[in-house]
Amino acid sequence: MVDGRGQVRPHWRRVLAALSDLPPDYAEGGLGEATRRLDRAFEEEGATSLLPGLQRAEPSWRCDPVPLPLPASEFALLAEGLAQRARLLDALLADLYGAQRLLTERLVPPELVFANPAFLRPCRSAEQPPPRPMLQTYAADLLRGPDGRWQVLADRTSRAAGIGHAQENRRMLGRVLPHIFQGQQVRPLRPFFDLWQDALQRLAPPRQDNAAIALLTPGVRHPLWFEHVLLARELSCALVEPGDLTARGGAVFLKTLKGLQPVHVLLRRMDGRLLDPLEFGGQEPGVPGLLDAWRHGGVRVVNAPGCGLAEAPGLTALLPRLSERLLGETLRLPSVETHWLAEPEALAAVLRDPDGWLLRPATDGIAPAWRPGRMTPAQRDTLLARVAAQPRDFAATRDLPPSVAPFVVGGGLTPRPVLLRLFLAQDGEGWSVLPGGLARVPDDATGPIGRLPRQALAKDVWVLSEEGGRIQGPGLHRQAPLPIRRAGGDLPSRVADNLFWLGRYVERMEGAARLMRAALARLDRGPLLPREVAELAALSTGLRHAGLLTTEDMPNAAASSAFQAALWRALRQGGTVARLFDEIGRLVEAVRDRLTGDMHTLFTLPLRAVRVQADAPQLGLQGLEAVLGSVLRYSAGVAGAVAENMVRAGGFAFLDLGRRVERAQSIAAQLGFALSQSPSRIEGGLRLALELCDSVITYRNRYLGTLQPAPALDLVLADPGNPRGLAFQLHAIRDVLRAVDGGPERELLPPAEALIAAVEAMPGTVLAAPDQAAAAVALAPRLTAMEGEIAALSDAITRRYFALLPPIQQIGQEMPGGAA
Amino acid sequence: MIWCVRHATTYRYAEPVDIATHLLHLAPRPLPHQRVLAESLTCQPEPSRISTGTDHFGNRATWIFLDRPHSVFEVTAEATVEVTAPAIPQPSATPPWEEITALSAQDPSAAEFALPSPMLPPEAGATAYAATSFPPGRPVLEGLLDLNARIRRDFAFRAGVTGIATPVSQVLAQRAGVCQDFTHLVLCALRGLGLPARYVSGYIRTLPPPGGAPRLGADQSHAWVGAWLGPEHGWVDLDPTNALVVRDEHVTLGWGRDFHDISPLRGIILGGGRHSLQVEVDLAPG
Repeated sequence: MVDGRGQVRPHWRRVLAALSDLPPDYAEGGLGEATRRLDRAFEEEGATSLLPGLQRAEPSWRCDPVPLPLPASEFALLAEGLAQRARLLDALLADLYGAQRLLTERLVPPELVFANPAFLRPCRSAEQPPPRPMLQTYAADLLRGPDGRWQVLADRTSRAAGIGHAQENRRMLGRVLPHIFQGQQVRPLRPFFDLWQDALQRLAPPRQDNAAIALLTPGVRHPLWFEHVLLARELSCALVEPGDLTARGGAVFLKTLKGLQPVHVLLRRMDGRLLDPLEFGGQEPGVPGLLDAWRHGGVRVVNAPGCGLAEAPGLTALLPRLSERLLGETLRLPSVETHWLAEPEALAAVLRDPDGWLLRPATDGIAPAWRPGRMTPAQRDTLLARVAAQPRDFAATRDLPPSVAPFVVGGGLTPRPVLLRLFLAQDGEGWSVLPGGLARVPDDATGPIGRLPRQALAKDVWVLSEEGGRIQGPGLHRQAPLPIRRAGGDLPSRVADNLFWLGRYVERMEGAARLMRAALARLDRGPLLPREVAELAALSTGLRHAGLLTTEDMPNAAASSAFQAALWRALRQGGTVARLFDEIGRLVEAVRDRLTGDMHTLFTLPLRAVRVQADAPQLGLQGLEAVLGSVLRYSAGVAGAVAENMVRAGGFAFLDLGRRVERAQSIAAQLGFALSQSPSRIEGGLRLALELCDSVITYRNRYLGTLQPAPALDLVLADPGNPRGLAFQLHAIRDVLRAVDGGPERELLPPAEALIAAVEAMPGTVLAAPDQAAAAVALAPRLTAMEGEIAALSDAITRRYFALLPPIQQIGQEMPGGAA
Repeated sequence: MIWCVRHATTYRYAEPVDIATHLLHLAPRPLPHQRVLAESLTCQPEPSRISTGTDHFGNRATWIFLDRPHSVFEVTAEATVEVTAPAIPQPSATPPWEEITALSAQDPSAAEFALPSPMLPPEAGATAYAATSFPPGRPVLEGLLDLNARIRRDFAFRAGVTGIATPVSQVLAQRAGVCQDFTHLVLCALRGLGLPARYVSGYIRTLPPPGGAPRLGADQSHAWVGAWLGPEHGWVDLDPTNALVVRDEHVTLGWGRDFHDISPLRGIILGGGRHSLQVEVDLAPG
């Protein structure tokens, strides 16, 4: 920030001026208030993979409101240097996975390749060169040393993680502090993603007009899941897991509702070793045959599996010489001084002054470094003894203090050291650098080396454009017209499966809350009428059926407190309803790429609040009622958001289908219990049926005060206009099936039609019967059976649409000389 | 010497397998002393795709893909191979073993095989066992032949006491195993001394030569050791199971760092439930 004479650099002056000129509503809290707002925005976005149902595990990444500005000229030099490094590393990888001339010419010690676990032998053939390019994306960690020059601390050639964080920081800063962009010439990030997307399209095998690109993620449990979701959205590609893919005939396909759809380019966000269990022999899922398809050009993998090899710190010292040999150019952007300790002079230098170095495994660029200067004397001696005994296993990087940048601490600015990660992609002709990046404070314990930590303090990086005049805030920049593209294909079966179950679980949670509330309304009212006792008994059966009560919890007027305790148990951590919260949270996260940001917020934030409310140490009837009210409001909010925001196809259809199936099953079951009365008590059963189907007011409006079996049952069973009635659910199920089940078989429609016919006939039977009450009671076993029939239909839906492949297994191998 | 090799493998599955992928190292590797005259690969059911290629070590590999349900998979590799005995240097004329250790780190064709490998992490016991064969300054081939002969004396050939993943330490402790175990033990021991050594996969003749002792490890896949004698003499193959120097009664499929790199046949299936494996190998004079 400050130049050699203690003057604030000009580009910083403008940034700081903007920050000192915050609008009035910030003025009181100043920068501290800006920080709090940013924190809250990130928290709401759930920018880490914080699952709402789960316990808060760890604080997320935070973004400082003060950006890190890079003047145009400085960025241009970095861009040029990094593009050269990217070309160099691509050429290095092509040689090491090809002819290995660098080994025969003795420019690279064989051990740095062969002892590196990131050297993936199945990705090399002794005869065939690997598909090019090896590197399509690349990132570098940089620091500005005491001499003011940027130096590369680490090359990231495997997956270049962190670009999602970079982009999120920019988006949030633009949303929370839009005014600080005013009057600044900040280059927008979006054009880089357009370029990257085009480059990926162009990688597709020849004669593919509409290349299908997919981002391959290990799944929702991965710490960078959020980034994968974001990146898939930015690049308009399908987000897939290994289980979604299958390799057939030397090509790779995505399993969708409409069958297998080809995938031409895979943007890999998982370790290359997990790609193909046939080749790497792991127990992880992977896609058997993926490497065969990659080798023969049936699918392009970005970056090529095995690219992590170039991250080895032991190779770093060789880069200047390799640049001369492979590119015929001098290396422009130097690395922070790094040595492989197999070199005796380097080892001697490190052992002379260990505290000036970061010690690292020679072949692992992602492992955290050891800092002898920060260790206890005993730890330090042990480490140095290991280094002296096995120097070939170690590399050493100068422990340089990175330059500092101002961070907001307690409302004021405090200098903290800062690292910069920049991201590149190539389009076959040249490398482009994201005009932005991820700046972060290095972890104090391990120093600047290692994979991105789970938590860190970050900064947006502003690349300033040269000419003044045109103002480019994040909202103002105009996008180039996009070419028409087809995104990764139809809905993957796994996504449809997740949406279906999300619909079911939200509905199951709502149904549970309704039942519990109906029971609570009958408690603590003093002595119960016989009718109320019968209603409560039917409700208890329903609650037990839903797993919300056990037989021991069976309520009676005297044991209301035990009953309440049972309901609290269901709502709290580990209880039946709380487990539904967990499942809903997990599924929302898993389908995150199908939800807009607003919808994601709507699905997660209130759920988190409900959890907190349910787990709070409050007791009593009112507390219970409050929690149930929150659950029902959450469910209504989700339903509204879905109905208003989701396009009526694919994803929505399955979410809705799940919801309808669950509600239909629940109505059939609960009405069955409600009607299981003696005919003389039928009025109580009908009252309960109307209450559980939220139809009391409708009935009263239609029929005034008279409660009779046929009209009441018509409303909750057969009236297709009652959204809480059974017929409505069944009609909706049939309509969705008709829309999605376009295939010739249509095997799911007949059972749905049969259910509708059965339900619609019921009120007529009751009406025609001489004794309506007896006829209504006789429907109870039929409704109970119907619950089973709806469950069977649900199973059929699952088999038809979601049938995932059976798990893979390694088969036995013949043991040479031994028994098979 | 001309040999006819036949290697038939049958997998039987309790339930139908929907999709299967197999990786085979069953095609003999062409070598200066080994010529492949004819070969064939037959599969039942017919695969939907067969790929062939060369792996990192230069071995020939075959990938087989089946994507229709099947309950049995049979694959038979047959080849006619002409093998000539390679020239073996005078043991006393080979360099001292310590020199080989020093040379190997720089030689890209040997360095890889002096390093530990996934199945063979460093094992001090193995190195200690080998050390008596390698007193300071001993010519490397003398040491190797001595070690090769000691294995045959000190270890019992016994099938069923070890499995594919048995660690070398267990073989050392029980002093028994099969050819794969002895090969792994010697590899581990030599690498501990800094000597490059590789796992060679192949076959040994089914019937002994007239008047010769029965060969151990016949009628099935066999394994032995390739050891590096330095840039001048290259590699020599030693069969510790039979205390033999490999000459013309072995057929070589290929080599790697350990069994995993060059396993004759491995596969991934989807579905299938429990399965059984049956193997028949025959190596007869052609």
